[in-house]
Amino acid sequence: MSEALDLSLRQQAAAIAAGEVDPGELLEATLERIDGRNPALNAVVETFPERSREMLAAAPQGPLHGVPVVIKDEWPLPWRAQRFGAAEMLARTAPGESGPYRALRDAGAVIVGVGNMHELGASSTGSISVYGPARNPWDPERCPGGSSSGPAAAVAARLVAGAVGADGIGSIRYPAAYCGLTGLKPTFGRSAMEGHHMAGVSSTIVSGPLCLDAGDCRLLGSVLFGEELASGDPGGLRIGVIRGDVAEDVAPPVRDACEAAIEELRRETGGEVREIELPELAAATLATVLIANSESLGGITPEHLNDLDPELSPIGRGLLKYRVLLPAVATIRSQQVRTLARHTLARVFDDVDVIAWPTVPAVAPPLEAPIVELPSGTLTADEANVRGGALANLTGIPAISVPVGSAEGLPIALQLQAAWGRDELLLDAAGAIERANGRRWVEAAPPSARGAEPLEA
Amino acid sequence: MEAQSNADDFIPAGLAAYGIEADEIELAVIRAAHQTFWPPILELLDLDTSEIPAERDPDLSQAPPSR
Repeated sequence: MSEALDLSLRQQAAAIAAGEVDPGELLEATLERIDGRNPALNAVVETFPERSREMLAAAPQGPLHGVPVVIKDEWPLPWRAQRFGAAEMLARTAPGESGPYRALRDAGAVIVGVGNMHELGASSTGSISVYGPARNPWDPERCPGGSSSGPAAAVAARLVAGAVGADGIGSIRYPAAYCGLTGLKPTFGRSAMEGHHMAGVSSTIVSGPLCLDAGDCRLLGSVLFGEELASGDPGGLRIGVIRGDVAEDVAPPVRDACEAAIEELRRETGGEVREIELPELAAATLATVLIANSESLGGITPEHLNDLDPELSPIGRGLLKYRVLLPAVATIRSQQVRTLARHTLARVFDDVDVIAWPTVPAVAPPLEAPIVELPSGTLTADEANVRGGALANLTGIPAISVPVGSAEGLPIALQLQAAWGRDELLLDAAGAIERANGRRWVEAAPPSARGAEPLEA
Repeated sequence: MEAQSNADDFIPAGLAAYGIEADEIELAVIRAAHQTFWPPILELLDLDTSEIPAERDPDLSQAPPSR
């Protein structure tokens, strides 16, 4: 059964459908693997074997019939309210049927556990959580990325082949990059969002898949979208690249690997590389943070802030209190920047099909000190990562993180962004990158994950 | 230094105006956040956006309607 555990999501689904793998045995083996591997990683913060068995017993013959998956601690389940990685999450929560839960259930999937996450979804590192941080399977002393830290670590460690995360400012793509996975941030509004405590309020958050490769993201993404994400031919792909910090203030190994991957993608698709300009990028990054922060303020009162749960981290408490000091005029200005950025992108996407730059500018930093060394100097990982991750959330466009190399034994990733509704093209392009490099990086896995290739630079 | 002295006034005054209490550790976090965010916020406020009509209720699932 360990061989089945190491299969991809679509291979597991196909093997179950063909009668080659018994889904009951797969479920029990998955729970056993979580018991064995998870204590060192803290990727999965709760399992509920009886609930999982009940899901399997009732599972319809959908595209994920009998396939085990993990879901982030950001989505309620009928038997469990989300905790948002925090001792207190400043929103009313209760057990319930979230959109991703329904989508998974109706596809026949079996939710085997809840994935850890950064406290309140407030960092790209995953270094703080009420459960203790999840750890990166490539190096347990390194950040797994955030805020969807547990889902990423669970898939990278082959506890499950697929997981559902959420992305408000890069929170699927950062952990995908740090853990060597493929992670899709869908076009805003295209994937299941019901039941999220910010649904209808947030203009940046989406649900999305974290998987081993683009094919698995297509399968799990189709389930979350409620429609088939058809594959196509990305031939003649026009790849937009940019100058500036997001592409150039990057650790040299990351820059080299991403530039090589862009060239491989161009060659594989018979496409071309075009230089583009996004003059609002820096302002757009700040605007995303301000809008996301202001949208989370609705239920907060001074009395509430004076009575925060002491188990909430000091950083979490301080940042919550700082949010109320941010000037409203800056948020209004941020909405104008959003308009400007959306119009600029609409023009850019007349000339190119995808925009490519590193998902994150350096490999996963230490959990104890989440800072990165860049050509410009030392930055916190959050300051560095948000430069590349925010634009898609501000404007609504889809984005995908694809593993394309390694340094220090840790994954390197390239991000591709496309026009609104072209999520399928991103999956096609990610597949082209996989073909171009012989699937070297999507088949690489941490040493503890048996049956997978070791990661070598 | 300017951001620091600005923070020395702005943070306690802002928190006091709302009646929000903060311990020393929280204040250190708030000061650090302020030093990170405030300079770019001031740059943002300096932008001339008078010609940019904010999209009303933008449909973020699609490109903006008028190009």
